[in-house]
Amino acid sequence: MPDQTPDRIPDRSVLLDHVSIRFGNFTAVDNANLKINSGEFFSFLGPSGCGKTTMLRCISGFSEPTEGKVLIGGKDMAGVGPNKRPTALIFQHLALFPLMSVAENIAFPLEVRGVSKKARRKKADELLDMIALPGIGDKKVSELSGGQKQRVAIARALAVEPDILLLDEPLSALDLKLRQHMRTELRAIQKQVGVTFIYITHDQGEALTMSDRVAVMSRGVIEQVGEPDHIYNRPRSAFVASFVGENNALQGVIKGQSGDLAALETPMGTYEARVGGGRKYKAGDEALLFVRPEQLIPGATENAFHATLTRQEFEGATNHVFAKAGDTELRISMVNAGLAGSLPGQGESLSLGFQPMNGTILPVGHMASDS
Amino acid sequence: MKQLKLAYTTLLAKHGMGAALFVAISVSLWVVLFITLPQLSMLDYSFRFNLPADQLGTDADHYTLDQYRSFFFNNDGSVNTLDIMILVRTLIAALIVTVIDVLICYPIAYILAHGAKGVAARLMVIGLIIPYWINEILRAFAFRVLFGSTGVVNTWGMQMGLWDAPVDFIRADVALYCGLAYAYILLMVFPMYNAIEALDHTQVEAARDMGAPLWRVHWRVVLPMAKPGIVSGATMVFMLTAGALAAPQILGGPSSLWFTQLIYQWFNESSNWPRGSAYAVVLLVTCITFVLLMMRVFKVSVGEIGK
Amino acid sequence: MNRHTLFGGAYALAFFSFLFGPLVIMATTAFNSSRFPRVAPWECFTTGWFGELFGNARLMEGLMNSVIIGVGVVALAVPIGLAGALALSELPPKLRSMLYTVLILPILIPGVVLGISTIVLWGQITRGTGAGFLYNGYFLTIVGQITFVSAYAMLVFIARLQRFDATQTEAALDLGATPGQAFRKILLPFMAPAIGSAAFITLLASFENYNTTVFTVLSESTFTTALASKVRHGTDPSLSALAVIIITLTLVGALTNEAYQRRKEAESGGRASRSPLYANPVTRALTHPGIVFAILVTVIGGITYAGSQYDSSVCEAAVLQEKLDRQEELRAEQRARIEAQEAEQGVTVPKPDSAFGGAFGGVGTPAAPAAPKPESPSAFGGAFGGITAPEVDE
Ligand SMILES: Nc1ncnc2c1ncn2[C@@H]1O[C@H](COP(=O)(O)OP(=O)(O)OP(=O)(O)O)[C@@H](O)[C@H]1O
Ligand SMILES: [Mg+2]
Repeated sequence: MPDQTPDRIPDRSVLLDHVSIRFGNFTAVDNANLKINSGEFFSFLGPSGCGKTTMLRCISGFSEPTEGKVLIGGKDMAGVGPNKRPTALIFQHLALFPLMSVAENIAFPLEVRGVSKKARRKKADELLDMIALPGIGDKKVSELSGGQKQRVAIARALAVEPDILLLDEPLSALDLKLRQHMRTELRAIQKQVGVTFIYITHDQGEALTMSDRVAVMSRGVIEQVGEPDHIYNRPRSAFVASFVGENNALQGVIKGQSGDLAALETPMGTYEARVGGGRKYKAGDEALLFVRPEQLIPGATENAFHATLTRQEFEGATNHVFAKAGDTELRISMVNAGLAGSLPGQGESLSLGFQPMNGTILPVGHMASDS
Repeated sequence: MKQLKLAYTTLLAKHGMGAALFVAISVSLWVVLFITLPQLSMLDYSFRFNLPADQLGTDADHYTLDQYRSFFFNNDGSVNTLDIMILVRTLIAALIVTVIDVLICYPIAYILAHGAKGVAARLMVIGLIIPYWINEILRAFAFRVLFGSTGVVNTWGMQMGLWDAPVDFIRADVALYCGLAYAYILLMVFPMYNAIEALDHTQVEAARDMGAPLWRVHWRVVLPMAKPGIVSGATMVFMLTAGALAAPQILGGPSSLWFTQLIYQWFNESSNWPRGSAYAVVLLVTCITFVLLMMRVFKVSVGEIGK
Repeated sequence: MNRHTLFGGAYALAFFSFLFGPLVIMATTAFNSSRFPRVAPWECFTTGWFGELFGNARLMEGLMNSVIIGVGVVALAVPIGLAGALALSELPPKLRSMLYTVLILPILIPGVVLGISTIVLWGQITRGTGAGFLYNGYFLTIVGQITFVSAYAMLVFIARLQRFDATQTEAALDLGATPGQAFRKILLPFMAPAIGSAAFITLLASFENYNTTVFTVLSESTFTTALASKVRHGTDPSLSALAVIIITLTLVGALTNEAYQRRKEAESGGRASRSPLYANPVTRALTHPGIVFAILVTVIGGITYAGSQYDSSVCEAAVLQEKLDRQEELRAEQRARIEAQEAEQGVTVPKPDSAFGGAFGGVGTPAAPAAPKPESPSAFGGAFGGITAPEVDE
């Protein structure tokens, strides 16, 4: 995504330069090396305990990296405390101040900078207007709903006029509907203020819908950085393929590779698929084949599995169909064709084919279900 | 030391210079000047002679075991059974009071934690606390009124024909034991309550469902849970009872002296501070040893106390 | 199960009777004109003991001293306790439990020992430095009490700190506050209610303390030590009158606090609008803590006024006459026997007051175990308790 911010706007980029963070012998973040661009909505996606919060706390200044450097706006942040960095953090549980009113919460950053009471109140009211909650300034924090608290926390963070806004799973405490609504809202606010958002989540839906780019993390390692559709369609590791979205995985041995495509021999047959990450394989290498449930086409005979249908799960717009091919259970997503359509019956035999470009061959590695 | 420094820097980073200095200075003052130095100085004193002021610092002012010797032996070399017995009697009495408190407080702590609900529970908590807002001396005085020869107990006892001349409950130490048990009930109930409350009530119900009799449910399920609370409460009650001064002075019978009264006499009547210090050290060491021993027996750590 | 509930109820009843019985009986004796605090025989209803209480110069002087000392102790013990709690929250586990043990120890050490060690240390310091002004009852009592009272304050603060969400401080820092600002604007306001209760508890503890104070107060006296020496010298119902006052204050405080807590709970839980008590404007106003307090104070004020107007002298004179008559009768009959008994027991001579308030006057020393105590009159003393052994207080 091109950087559209004009030159006079400050540099709001973050550079993680070979950052490692260790607690004793335990490595929470392992050699993270990436640049987050000015004005970008950037997400870290990963399972619980993979080091996301640790990474965020390092950017906001609550901890220093054990190795490497953090640069914000091109400046090295070593030794700069959290209150001196141009960042604002929205905590996992918001950390609104319960003893202060909403307006006092929002104006807190100005209060500690010695801004007069009147100017503080004015700014708080402006921010309340921006988050579409005018007139609630005198309420107590405990009187707000979950979504309102969320927005107040954002307003408070924006009152700092930060260059970087860091958000640590801010939506995880909300119910589904509100969560979806807040996604849109967050994205809109980000567009409006032009601040770099660094967003942390273990919810892939959130990461994929909101972000310009996503970094997928596992066990402290950044597995892949890219735009959402890249992450989904072009996973570069077994972990990313298995963590982001649903995937069918089959282990096999490479028979040969030509350009982007390779042939993989599995107990169920030999299949042709795209090679992930532009890697080169020799015949005889062990590898994994990933095919997404929605890419398996019933009735297609090329590049196909011969399977027996075992069960189905109905979920409104899609049907999840499970079929057994050899020892492997395959998962197939079918669009609900309504009353006019018909579904295959249980125990029926079926041929499930896929386009070689829609399958991905990746080296053997740990999967989401292992961690 | 390194860890202390680390804690200080954490404080500094978290709460700022002012707060970090405030914490460091206050805690050092407390630990050194208020807790440690006085005890050391008392210990030092207990190894000295009782000299008039003009002889302090002269050759006569050197360390001695005299004060401790006089606790164990009389001047004629025989064992000082009088004072030793007073100490032993104090400890035994404190133990009895502690056991009484455990016995009467356990059911209340249990009822409070798992029986009483809503208003009743609230009233009970208030009811437990209110008597402790009333001066310790007055509480002891109440027992003197109660057990005096024309007190309510004697009047009723005689009216009902249980006995026909006033019983001297004070001489019999009944008033003292009651008064002491009364004085520290609160310190026993709350630690017990905290411990028992943590117990999931469904466990009790499950045990009852399986047909266990009530006493067994308590023995096997509730008591193990209450143990840290009981030990914590018992430690406090024991130490405070053994160290009590007001109640024995007010309620004690003339023939049974509390060890603290002995200390008081050395200080305030005989003006023999070194001797008094030595007796205080003896009391302190005995009590602490006793408590540590009990903790060892019941496998509980000091950290549980006061929770 | 029902049988158990019944048993539980009965037990609770018995338990609370034990807790309140002595207090109620003591309070009742405040209104009996008998010179010895007792319920039976009931002589005359009187409020005279309250007057006697306030007329006791030594107690009133002790009260003043207690206030001065109490203020000093609160002013020092509360910050020290807070510092202790903060220090514990930052230490690594092992060091923390060590420091905790050290800081909690003063609660367990017998108060007598604390008192002694305080005067011994400061005596030495005074001798070493010549700073004689330090060696006075006020200063020593404050110092001695702080040692353990701070630990009470600390326990209150620890409990509160455990509920503090540390991310609040982090959020403040992140929003640009300096650590000092975060401390003042976030942590201290959070601790404010605990500071209030710690101040209250430390004040109460300082006021109540006897074991340490009786040593450190030297020749001064506090309310509690004055009270104790009065009780030891012999008793009269003005102490019961004092108990009545304290119990009343306690009840007023407890009820007001209860009204406050209930209302706060109802409001924060959103129950306020649903509860009929709070929905009706009249009952809502009536249950306001301020109103509750005002009503209680008015009622008690009224009763006090009525009581102060009450005159029991006629009744008392009648009782006295009756007693004198009866005494005369008995005396005539039993003079010989009384004399014989007194000769056998030795004379009941009240001990003169030493500087320390005649420490064992009331209890007797072990050397003289048979010394009769003023409050346990001889076999027939029941009827004469008040006359044959009058309790004189200076
Ligand atoms: N202060 C610390 N000391 C030791 N280990 C730590 C510390 N902080 C975090 N860790 C460890 O580092 C790992 C990563 O923790 P982190 O909080 O960054 O996870 P996360 O990705 O944010 O998880 P979640 O989604 O559950 O919030 C965890 O295994 C955690 O136990
Ligand atoms: Mg996290």
